[in-house]
Amino acid sequence: MKNLFFYLLIVISFSFSAQNSETLIPKDAVTVFSINNINLLQKISIDELISYEFMEEIHQELFDGSTSGKTLKDAGLDFDQKFNIFYGKADNFELSGFTFGIKNKEHLFTVFDDFEAVSYPKLKGVVVYESFFNNLILKDGSALLIRVEPSMEYVKQVTDSIWFARGNENIYLIDEETEGDDILKEQIYEEEVIEGNSFPNAASDPNEKNYNELMDSVQLVFQHKQLEELLNELFVENVNLINSDFHFKAQLLHSVEGTFYFDNSRNLDNSSGLWYFQAFLPSLYKDIQELYAGNLILGDLILKDKSVEFNIEVLYGDKLGSIYTEMNDSHFDKQVLKYIPESSTGYFTYNINLRKAYEKAYEVIIPILEEEKNTQISMNILTIELLNEFVNKDALFGTYKGSMFASFNGIKKIKTKKIEFFYDEETFEYGEREAEAEEDMPIVTLGFSIKRKDIPEIVLKHLARLTSKVKNMGDYWRFDNAILDAAPLFMISKNGLFIFTNDEDLAINHSDGYEKKAISTAKAKKAKKSGFLYGFIDIATTLSRFPDDLLGAKQNQMIQSLRGKSGSLELKSSRTTNDKTTIQLIYSFTGNEQIGKHLLDLINIIFVVSK
Amino acid sequence: MDELTIHDDGSGTLKYAINLSSSRVKVNSILALDSLDGKKVPSIDEIKAKVILFKKTLALQNGISGVSVSENYTDFIFKFECNFSSVYLLQDALRKTFAIISNDQSITQQDFYWLSFDSKILKRSVPSIAIDKLHKLSQNDINLLKTGSYTSISRFDRIVDHFENSLSKLSKDSKSLMIRTDTYSLKEKQSILENTIHLFSN
Repeated sequence: MKNLFFYLLIVISFSFSAQNSETLIPKDAVTVFSINNINLLQKISIDELISYEFMEEIHQELFDGSTSGKTLKDAGLDFDQKFNIFYGKADNFELSGFTFGIKNKEHLFTVFDDFEAVSYPKLKGVVVYESFFNNLILKDGSALLIRVEPSMEYVKQVTDSIWFARGNENIYLIDEETEGDDILKEQIYEEEVIEGNSFPNAASDPNEKNYNELMDSVQLVFQHKQLEELLNELFVENVNLINSDFHFKAQLLHSVEGTFYFDNSRNLDNSSGLWYFQAFLPSLYKDIQELYAGNLILGDLILKDKSVEFNIEVLYGDKLGSIYTEMNDSHFDKQVLKYIPESSTGYFTYNINLRKAYEKAYEVIIPILEEEKNTQISMNILTIELLNEFVNKDALFGTYKGSMFASFNGIKKIKTKKIEFFYDEETFEYGEREAEAEEDMPIVTLGFSIKRKDIPEIVLKHLARLTSKVKNMGDYWRFDNAILDAAPLFMISKNGLFIFTNDEDLAINHSDGYEKKAISTAKAKKAKKSGFLYGFIDIATTLSRFPDDLLGAKQNQMIQSLRGKSGSLELKSSRTTNDKTTIQLIYSFTGNEQIGKHLLDLINIIFVVSK
Repeated sequence: MDELTIHDDGSGTLKYAINLSSSRVKVNSILALDSLDGKKVPSIDEIKAKVILFKKTLALQNGISGVSVSENYTDFIFKFECNFSSVYLLQDALRKTFAIISNDQSITQQDFYWLSFDSKILKRSVPSIAIDKLHKLSQNDINLLKTGSYTSISRFDRIVDHFENSLSKLSKDSKSLMIRTDTYSLKEKQSILENTIHLFSN
């Protein structure tokens, strides 16, 4: 009885502590991070907090000196309520923001000092403030900081229709004219006046808006309209994400430090990449939607003594689940472990059965496509079905089975050639000569499980006949200047693996594997035990050393977010079932920074990756 | 490397060469990216188009002839050469050309001349446009400058009497001067290339 009473007390106190701020999350939010235990963030300075990428939407509000030297505690936040960060995309607008509890309104406005109250008479018990960029809405001790941005495509569409309805010309034609020289412009003007059939040009009438001014007005009107609709939905109709999605509601009840919610099925709905299907093949688009129905990614953030764990559940429907189950029904290829050196500071293994995935996808997707009464789709199905009959699938999936590994083996100096200018010491006439140079290059190995080693050998033999850059070196193949036109690429086809590497040492001395120098049994066991995916990165020795200029903007942003951190990241996965796959990301740290900072670091990594 | 030849009548030839061959991996890796530090990375075709525009624009300028640019996109060596009738016309021409190709009219408004010659004395300094660019370099790029080198050569028809920059080296026939430095030192102290060269009278 005592235990039951104690349990009830915990449930009641948890329910009280978890009230309010999360009810302000709009139903259109697709991604939500909820930090349950924001006590961890009490000592984090606001300046530090807003330096994270996931806070970028309110940078303009807070980078004005109003936060200097203040912590979240000074900002009047209620540490008994959740702090929720959300992002969403609806048909015609995007929204992003935060919800949080307020303990001291006066303190809050010392930080958000650029807001002014605006009237929304329909909303009872709600106070709305606005600034140049964002809106702050207060209700019963909770706040919603939100930015609503109409989609530019929609704004442009409406602007165009108003612009042309007013009898204006195409803006791009006007622009082309203005780019011409003055004489040409004068001639055109004269011709128009003489013919007397010119359209009214808004730019020439100070009382008429030009195209850009009109677009600004349309954008502003939509912004207000969409915000008003959203506020009505939240505060009049009481529709929010909690009562719209039971998965999200259930997720919030997890007694962990933070939770993550990402609705991939709605993300798909708003994906601009599928606009063609939406517009021209609506029934096929509906089928794709059904395939992705219930595709959610839910995560729990758990703080431990020296680590932050992120447990992710990827949920999906039956059809997608049947493809994933077949795809992940694969035995771990132990051979890959031989080729990862103990000194490697970052590696991953990916273990799938591509043939089974192909066959299941064929079984699931072809009937969907067959229902579509469209000539182009019918021709595509015919091609796919013929290929399925004629292509030797044993050879295809024997060449690439689907499993692979990669390892980062540090930065090494590689020998390259350079042209040197030299000068005659008496005449100063200069000449050029070829000399040896050394450049830093990350040493990376990428290997694929293979059953038919004869097929890449055929390709390489023919390549060697075509160019002297490709040479058979016995245990391996060498392709000179293949990497960035400067460094050689080595290819090893042994032990059921086809390996690409720029590590000369691996090719020459370890083409059969590193043997005793390979990763330890304990590390190998972890990789083997993981499901279809395993990854490990030592942050300090891998990411901090990786050259910026070898990666794209997004990868660089992710690496930048981890630079200067200590510890490691480990990624593990479970076996895949028909309805879900579980993935675990563990961020272990060794530094003495506050634990809340590590939590924010991990949230930031996930934010940058999921953006 | 720059090589400036000035004849007695004030006409001459400017040669300029950039050699990035010791950074082939780095240059190739940058060219493989879409953007770097928030700025778009141009493709080789875009660079080639810019070079053509530079060549054509400079060739149209008053007092300029024999414009040639050689481009080597394997080793990343670029060499430029042109003849000029006076150093002042050369500088005006370069200013106008850079303003056009970089779409920055403020360059033409700079009245700074980095070369002056009065038949007896040549004064050399560093163009302000280059100094402006140096100030915009990031710390990472600044560190890389330590591995680069810069050579500046001045050649004359006549014998050099004396010169003010003690880092200069005189050729055996006393008609040429050379200054060699590393690019980091040049960034730190642009005056390293400044020189006032006095020639013997005819």
